[in-house]
Amino acid sequence: MTLQEKMDAYKKDFLTKVPKEALKVIHRATEQLANSGLVEQAIQVGSAAPQFTLKNSSGEAQSLSGLLANGPMVLTFYRGKW
Amino acid sequence: MELDALNALIDEISGLGATLVAVSPQAADINKAFREEKKLRFDILSDPGNAVAHQYGIRHRLPDDLTALYTKFGINLPEFNGDDSWTLPMPACLIIDAAGVVRHTDINADYTIRPEPTDTLAALKTVL
Repeated sequence: MTLQEKMDAYKKDFLTKVPKEALKVIHRATEQLANSGLVEQAIQVGSAAPQFTLKNSSGEAQSLSGLLANGPMVLTFYRGKW
Repeated sequence: MELDALNALIDEISGLGATLVAVSPQAADINKAFREEKKLRFDILSDPGNAVAHQYGIRHRLPDDLTALYTKFGINLPEFNGDDSWTLPMPACLIIDAAGVVRHTDINADYTIRPEPTDTLAALKTVL
């Protein structure tokens, strides 16, 4: 199963459990975000990736330049475990 | 789900000489527990207040009716993330080359749509 197939199965299940009113709120928020133009303003291909230093789960500081020292990087932004 | 799917490809990503890193607004201890639970073989970096997400242009604040709903569902972002901003990053997968240039982006306002890791891997191969 692809990731999207797994997510679609999860979404289908979610839709059966969550009250309609709640779904409206969620859907409206997603629509607002899609219409806000934020995606179009986000960082584009060809830009320099902004530098950062963040702590990993062991408390060690990791910088963008440090992470790129040995090669390219796949950077994924993750909302949370919930 | 998404991090599990990326984790499944970690050997191939490393094999191509690339690093995989996740950035999340969650507190470091939550990231740590999650990483151990899911046996993730890549780092999760803690981005308090989504400050770095903001620099990448993907931070957004949840509308009030949604924050009320999440609170009702027990999704207490201020508790998980350690700040009151109720901001989140849009799901985003970027490929940055060794020179620090963004070479690929996959960003979606709809959090139920995530980049397919196999597509990310294919894009990574074109960047090398």
